[in-house]
Amino acid sequence: MMKPAVHRYSLVTRLAHWVWLVAFLVLVSSGLQIFNAAPYLDASDKSNPARRVLSIDSPSDGAGTTTLFGRTVTTTGWLGWTDDGMGGRGARGFPGWLTIPAEQNLADGRRWHLFFGWIASICWVAWVISGLIKGTIQKMILRPSDLGKLWPMQAYYLKLRKEPPPYDTYNPLQKAAYTTIGFVIAPLVVLSGLALSPGVDAMAQPLTWLFGGRQFARLWHFVGMFLLIGFLFVHVFQVATQGFLNQMRTMITGWYRPGEHERSET
Amino acid sequence: MNRKLFVASSIGAALAACSPIGTALNNNDGVHRVLGSAEGLNHLLIGTRGMAREYRDADVDTQFRINGFDTPTDARYAGYRADAFSSYRLIVDGAVENRLAFTLPHLEKIAQQTQITRHDCVEGWSAIGKWSGVRLSDVLDLARPNEGAKYVVFRCLDVDPQGTPYYESLDMQQARHPQALLALRLNGKPLDPDHGAPVRLRVPTQLGYKSAKWVQRIEVVSSLGTIYGGGGGYWEDQGYQWYAGI
Repeated sequence: MMKPAVHRYSLVTRLAHWVWLVAFLVLVSSGLQIFNAAPYLDASDKSNPARRVLSIDSPSDGAGTTTLFGRTVTTTGWLGWTDDGMGGRGARGFPGWLTIPAEQNLADGRRWHLFFGWIASICWVAWVISGLIKGTIQKMILRPSDLGKLWPMQAYYLKLRKEPPPYDTYNPLQKAAYTTIGFVIAPLVVLSGLALSPGVDAMAQPLTWLFGGRQFARLWHFVGMFLLIGFLFVHVFQVATQGFLNQMRTMITGWYRPGEHERSET
Repeated sequence: MNRKLFVASSIGAALAACSPIGTALNNNDGVHRVLGSAEGLNHLLIGTRGMAREYRDADVDTQFRINGFDTPTDARYAGYRADAFSSYRLIVDGAVENRLAFTLPHLEKIAQQTQITRHDCVEGWSAIGKWSGVRLSDVLDLARPNEGAKYVVFRCLDVDPQGTPYYESLDMQQARHPQALLALRLNGKPLDPDHGAPVRLRVPTQLGYKSAKWVQRIEVVSSLGTIYGGGGGYWEDQGYQWYAGI
């Protein structure tokens, strides 16, 4: 028996979701373009090779290496010596097929990055304001009372428990994920990006200091990108395993059809 | 159970599609203009506020990284080097009441300021130097810019391989910032040719390309449009942002 469809996502949420997807992909690929201009990261304020965490190099023509915490591996073809975006290969951090634009062009990479940084940030502010007014953000934030339910929920997923712990709109693990990504990591990525800018450092010195200085802010910015990519993988995996078409339709039209997922699985 | 494969391939495909689509759009003039609009927002919201952080002597890079163009080797600069810059003059002209030509000893007699500040390159690296010299604001006070003057243009002695000279510009607010410095010394010694001798600009609140080296002439203007590419600087004419606070 088919239950009536429920309206799950508002127009603002749906728009924000797809704009973020495009903005995130552009920010990653233009960000890698910018990274390539100085393909190393230091845990320090000024550049300091003694505190180098990551370095992508080309020790000689035709060879690419990646050094992470002092351990060097050969990454020829992938990192260090790779696709130059112009049909050939050359000394380059990340390959041209991953960057905007494909060829080495810091000026244009910055144009894309700074524009879409604003798009993603404005979108986030609009989504938070609209969600606070409608009360959906309040339901999404992880609260101290949810902490005790995290393991029971995980145990349920692992089939160690028959019933999930009682919860309202979002289960405790969903709340933990959304709170961490939407209200901790994503804002930290934006703030670390601002913190590595000299104008922002002058305007708000404590911000850059809190990240450990300019180069450290650049490192956090990069780490944050990887955490967001990790979230993207988990998120798409969940969509793919929870009734892909129903989920996609819900995020496009707003309407979710309960029960369809179960039917399609049997 | 090909879900993991589905997830990996869909994200991989989305990322791999990004570069060719973005690269194709990148060549579109309209897209280029729209993307560039973020600069106005950054200038408005970040602008020139506050002071760049000042460091201690212990933080200084004794081997300050050399950036920018190769040190000039043409006859004019070779001549300056040969006579220890005694024939060099720093010209201040344009929309000013009082045109000036400073010799180096002249500049050294104006109140000297010292700052230990971080140089943030647009490429991503940073270095700290101890810079001493004359406040740009003090030089502008001596020249007295006209009422309608909006920008200060720095014309430099270095040229790119195609022969285009380096230049930069600041608006009046940026030029009047107390840390905007005409540096004569780095780490206690007179600037060496590789670091922009005899005079280089220091603008620690913006990215390094604003801190022009080998400054020869300071020109006060009301508009940047007619100078070289019209972008207000050598790198700006190549697509970099004129407002370089971010």
